This record gives sequence, structure tokens and C-alpha cells, in this order.
Amino acid sequence: MELKAFMPGMILDELADAVGGYENVSMEMSDRATYGVDYFWVGRMWQDRGEVPPMPDWIVRPGATEEVSKIMKIANYYKIPVHIWGGGSGSQGGALPMSGGILMDMKRMSKLIEIDEVSRTITAEAGMIFQQLEWYANEKGYSCQHIPSCLTCGTIGGALGHRGIGIMSTKYGKIDDQCLSMEVVLPNGDIINTLPVPKHAAGPDLNQIFIGSEGTLGVITKATFKLFEQPEDRQFRAFLFPDMNSGYMAGRDIMQKVKPSILRFFDEAETVSIIKKILGFEKQGCFMNLAIEGIKRIVDIEMEIILEIVEKWGGQDLGSDYGEKWFENRITFFYPGHIMDIPQMFGTMDTVATYANIEKIYRAMKKVINEKFPYVRYISHSSHWYEWGCMNYTRFIVDPKDVPQDPEAARRLHNEIWNAGVRAAMENGGVINDHHGIGLKLSRLMKEQYGPAMQVMEALKKQLDPNGIMNPYKLGL
Amino acid sequence: MFSEKAKKHADACRFCYMCRHLCPIELVTGKENNTPRAKGLQVSMMERGMKMDKGSAITMYECLLCGACTADCVTGFDPLVFIREARSQAMMNELTPDFAQKVIDKLVETGNPYGATEAKVNYDGIAQEGDTLVWLGNAARYAVSDVAEALFSILKKAGVAFAALKDEPASGCELGDMIGHLEDVRVQAKAAAEAIAKTGAKKVVVLDSHDAAFFMHECKDWGIDLPEIVTATSFVLDLIKEGKIAPAKKAEVVSYHDAARLSRDLTEMEPAREIIAAMGADLHEVYLNEKDNKNPENKACGSFVRARECGSSIMGQMKPELSVMLCEARYGDLLRTDSRIMIAADPQATEALRRSIPEGVEYRDLFVMLNDRI
Repeated sequence: MELKAFMPGMILDELADAVGGYENVSMEMSDRATYGVDYFWVGRMWQDRGEVPPMPDWIVRPGATEEVSKIMKIANYYKIPVHIWGGGSGSQGGALPMSGGILMDMKRMSKLIEIDEVSRTITAEAGMIFQQLEWYANEKGYSCQHIPSCLTCGTIGGALGHRGIGIMSTKYGKIDDQCLSMEVVLPNGDIINTLPVPKHAAGPDLNQIFIGSEGTLGVITKATFKLFEQPEDRQFRAFLFPDMNSGYMAGRDIMQKVKPSILRFFDEAETVSIIKKILGFEKQGCFMNLAIEGIKRIVDIEMEIILEIVEKWGGQDLGSDYGEKWFENRITFFYPGHIMDIPQMFGTMDTVATYANIEKIYRAMKKVINEKFPYVRYISHSSHWYEWGCMNYTRFIVDPKDVPQDPEAARRLHNEIWNAGVRAAMENGGVINDHHGIGLKLSRLMKEQYGPAMQVMEALKKQLDPNGIMNPYKLGL
Repeated sequence: MFSEKAKKHADACRFCYMCRHLCPIELVTGKENNTPRAKGLQVSMMERGMKMDKGSAITMYECLLCGACTADCVTGFDPLVFIREARSQAMMNELTPDFAQKVIDKLVETGNPYGATEAKVNYDGIAQEGDTLVWLGNAARYAVSDVAEALFSILKKAGVAFAALKDEPASGCELGDMIGHLEDVRVQAKAAAEAIAKTGAKKVVVLDSHDAAFFMHECKDWGIDLPEIVTATSFVLDLIKEGKIAPAKKAEVVSYHDAARLSRDLTEMEPAREIIAAMGADLHEVYLNEKDNKNPENKACGSFVRARECGSSIMGQMKPELSVMLCEARYGDLLRTDSRIMIAADPQATEALRRSIPEGVEYRDLFVMLNDRI
């Protein structure tokens, strides 16, 4: 006879009552195991080795904000951890149910609420896959211009939760620039709205408290975003620079004068390893691929200015074919067989810094990885730029022969590489992460990043989530 | 437990998230398990020691096998391979959900998912042998018989001599969808081929695109001899082009639903559109039906592959509530266009899209519409 407590079932009944029936809750083992893997390498490796994944005890799928509120009240009463799951495509383990409890899968909340063509905004529930939102915008002739590689799999809430970014960010901004307002369910079940517009003098912008909070402070249930007119013209151009410094400086000068939508600059290693594979490109140097877009007359002039800057920094004009080809193939890279996968070990140590520090960080990270882990390949590109600096999208790759088979040893090596690389970035003026978020992967390093400033976030957490039930072990909170 | 092929595809899909935005069932249910990656992950976990449970078996049946995921994959991985095998595994482990087992039982006992013993189609005056055989399929015989009769009428008006089997057996397609491509399915397929052979047909005009795809792909792979197979849409379009029928034209705005097996498995999108054009209608595409004109061969960025499937006969029998949700979602796509007329050219699509027609919207089966115009 199997002995079984009935309290979990009692809680299941309450959750089912909150979300309209048992169709929207589950305690099945196979359902629970499904949520134990996201894009985080350790979780994937753990599954691949046949280990037990982190699992929630209850899965609940709300269909409305009011249902989220009810779930939060139940969770707070029982002091049960709550994990928010959107597309589950995060690379940082941010959605993994590390402490069991309730997992709230938000994808039933995927309704389009409004397209306001006068104000050029679009509003939808946060469980909608971002590609769907983009298609709704496209149908009306607009774009949200949030085009990340996870466009087809990440949700609106996921993009907001980890402070995401798309390939067009250099012109159109990050998700925190694109979001105008949000509806959020607080841990106590209260439903709040941020102000209707984000630019005001009515105190701090509440949006920016919840954007990037990774489900630790509340549940984002609705959001309104900017809509952009589709550009009349988009022109690509590729260049080859003699070295990293000339490319970074050319990028800075371009950002001071024009705003490309896409600006991607690759180190020599990535130029060889990735660009050659995808584009059949064989020259040595540092590759830059950019796009400018908008009204054609303006785009033509912007391109003239860019060509002048590139010439000044010794760049070689490679024409438009490469950029167009990259753009057409930009999604291909993320399908199985094209992207890095188990049994390789890999990770993206993206960091952001000022132009004064960015090359220093590139070299410091490369040095520490090469010295401590000589079998690790290190490649990098910069794909999001600002007037004051840019980010480095640095990847490390460990070939299967060098990845320990023992899952504990593999996890340890993974974390040692991350500690070394990210600390090198932080010690040289970089930020712990640019756009993938913190999640579980970098949680332990948050206090090193923030120092005493961490108490501001801890105070917010303590006030909003006094029982500490929201997404435990994430974001250093 | 699973074949090497299924394991390979499941292991590729288990960590991939690229196609989840296209799964019609995931989009209406919002369940993580209804993503191809979650189904692949579950198969992968079963291969690593996790036991299949009731929830996992249910998950494997919450799939239309519409192939949106497969068509989207630029690498060529196919979740349908392991989903079909998982259904076989569920049966072998006696974990088939009740809602699915009922349909399987009906398919085994009567050859159709409705458990019907007599077709609703009027076969009066229809030959049982001939060079051209019309194969209707279960949906047209038992659920939407007006579609079958419209096709018969069109062919008669065009002066086509044809036969149609009053006792048309099951093709094996639906049983294959329910239990995977096991020997029982091949037995049904061989029996269907024998029944076709007895008619002396040199050409089979297949109305149901599920059966057409099954005859052209699975039966061919299994070495089952069949005469030339053509879809009813292609056959009828030729009749128009040859001047054997001339539909009356009416200027109106319509939209067209691409049934998944017709558009994806058989890559047939144009004949139905040409028939609609021949009737004078102005086709306004549902958004995701639009072609990628710059690169029509680009499946991932092209668009017929993205068309949202609206349901199927077996899903209608297994999960009627889910079928209504799928139907409503497809009409949601229509309602974002300026058309209020939806047309489809497949009896299973007609069955599905008649489940819940929104107010102010008209659904038309292509063959019924054409027959009314000639």
C-alpha cells in the first residue's frame, strides 16, 4: 500500500477552484518534470545525465489576472514558494522551480487587449508568446521592434521579467525602453497598475522596479508597448576592421551621429568560427555588420556618414550581401544542429560597459578564461550599442571530450568558468549581465556586483514579499 | 522502448523552443506540455528512466499531428515521429487515455471514429467500378456528407465517369494517427488498397487530404500498390481549366483556410485558390497565410506552414471542447481580416470549422460552393 498525505490534494483543490477547474492544475509527475528544464546549461546537462530535475509540487495555469491574485493569496496563506513560467526559454535558470511549491504557467493569459493606433501602442496579457504580439502588430502595419532570438518562444512576461533585448535594440531600445505600462499582481494578491505613461515627475518609474525583477517581486500580467511604423527602407553594410579597438571606436562614432538598428561587431575568433560557417567568409580581422533603417532619404545620408566613419578607422567596406545573408539566416542559428548543444558545455557571459572599459573587459575575460581553462574556446561579439558604451556577447565553449561525465563535476566546472569570467568583467567596470538576466546562474554574484546597494533591492523584497515566497534563490534575493 | 529515429528527434527537440508559437493546441490551451519541446523532453526522460504516466499519455494525444512544428524546423527534425511512437507506447503500457481509447475502439470496430455503421452519403446511381474512383474518407461519409454529394454532383456536371465505394473501408490513416504506424494500421491500409484494386481504378481522386497524404506517403513507403492518387481540388481545377465546368462568378471578399495535410504534407496550396478565383471571389488571406514573396521556398519564414490548423475528425471525437477552442481560434484569425467568409477544401476542415461559427461569419466548403455555382 502506498501511503499518501492528503494535504497536497487539499491545496490542489483550492488552486483548481481559483483557476476554473482541474483542467488547469496538475500534480502529475510527467507534467512536473517538464518544468525542470529551461535553456540553462546545468538544467539541460542534469536532464541529459538522467538526473532528477527540479520540480514544482503543483502546476497551476491562470486564465485571468483575478485568478493570479487568488493563487497568490493561497500561496501566501500556506507560505508556499511560487515560480512564474512563461516560455521557459531563459538561459539563466530564472524560471526553474528550485524550491518546489507552485509553478504558475502564464501561457493561458495570452489575449490581445488593444491596439491603439492613435497613440501607437499595443497591450496584451503577459503570457502571450512575443512572436504573436509582433504578428498582431504586423497585421496593422506596425512592429514592436523587439526581435530577440527567443522571439518565437519567450513570452511578454519573460521578456520583461529578465529585462530582455532584441536585435534591433540599438535603434528601438531594450524592453525596458519599449514598455509603457504594466499590470502587476503583488505577492499579497493585490492588483496594481503602473502609471499610464513612463515619462513623468510623479516619483520613480514603477515599471523599472518590476522589469528585470524575475518574478521575485510580483507577477506581471499585462503590458503596453510602443508600436513603430515599419521602416520604409533598410540597408545593410558589412565591414572588416583590422582589430578590436578600431571597431569599437568606429561603433562609438557611429552611435554619436546615427542610430543603426543592427550593429554587430565580432572579435577575430568569432569572425573565423561563426561568420565563416554561416557566410562562407574567410578573411582575417574583426567583422562588423550593421543595418540602418527608416525613411529612405535619411537612410541614404546616414549610410554616407557611416562610410566616412568606417574609412577613418581603417575599416574595409564589404558591401551589403553579408548583412542581408545574416539577416535572412538569423533564426537558423538557433535550431538544433546549428546552435551549441549538449554534450558541449557552453554559456554566454554578456556584459555591458562604457567605451573606456569595454575592450579592457574583453581582454581581461579572455585572459582569465585562457589561463584558468586552456581547453575552453572563447569568442565574443558586441550586438547592442549606446552613445556611451556597448555590450560584449561573450561565449565560452567546452568541447565534449573536456566536459566531465559526472554531473556534479560538470556543474562545478561550469560554475567555476562563470565565476572567473564574470568577476573579470565586474573588476574592470562591467556589469554582471547585459540582457539574459540573473536567474539562478548568476544569483550568487549579485551581492558582489551591487555591494551595499543590494540593500535597496532587499528592502523592496522584504516589503513586497515578506514571506519570501516569490521565486526563491533567484536574483540574489 | 522508442526507435532510434524517435530518440534522435526527441533529443533534438527536448531543448529547442523555436516552433512553439505555431502549435495550434499550445496556443489555445497555454499548456507547456503542449509544446513540441515538452513532448520531446518527456520522451527523452522516458528513455532515461522516467515511467510514462497518465499525464504523459494525455499529453501525447493533445496534438493534431498537423505538422506546423515539423514544417517550421529548418534542420528537419520532426516531433510527429516521437509523438506517434509515444501513442504506441501508451497503448502497449495500457495508458491510453479513455477519451482516446474510445475512438480507437470505434476505428477498430467500424473503421471510422464516429462508430457509425452506415454512411450518410447518397450513393444512388454511383458506379462501384471504373477507371476513376472517388475516395471520400470518413469525415465526408459520416459527418459532412453534403461535401461528398457536392463532389459527386460536380463530377456528374462535368461529365466525368467515376465510381465510389458504397462500402469504402478505412484507409488506415486515422488508426495510424491514434496508435502510431503499427502492423494493425498496415493491415487496414492493405485492405483499403485491395478494395481500390477491385474497382479496376487507374486513378483515385481523394477528397480527404488526410487520406491523400497517407496514400501518397505512408502507403508508398510500405510498398502498398495503389493507382495514381490525385487530390479532389487538383482534379476539379483541371475540369475548370479544361472547360468542362464553368462556375458563375460573384465578386465578394473571402478567406481560405489551408488544411494542414493538404498544404504541408502535400504542399498543395494553389488549386483551391485558383478555384476560388474562378468563381470571381477576391481572396484576402488570413494573415499568416501570406506568402513570403521574396523567398517562397523559405519554409521557416514562408507562411503557409504557419497556417493555424483548425481541428480534425479524431480530435473532434476525442476532445470536443478543445476542438471548439481550435475552431474559434481559427475564426479569430479570420475576424482580423476584412473578410467574413471562410472557405476550406477538406472535409475534416469543414467538419471542424462548422463546430462554432461566429455570428456574422459564413463558412463555406469549397466543393459545396462550387457545386452551387455550376
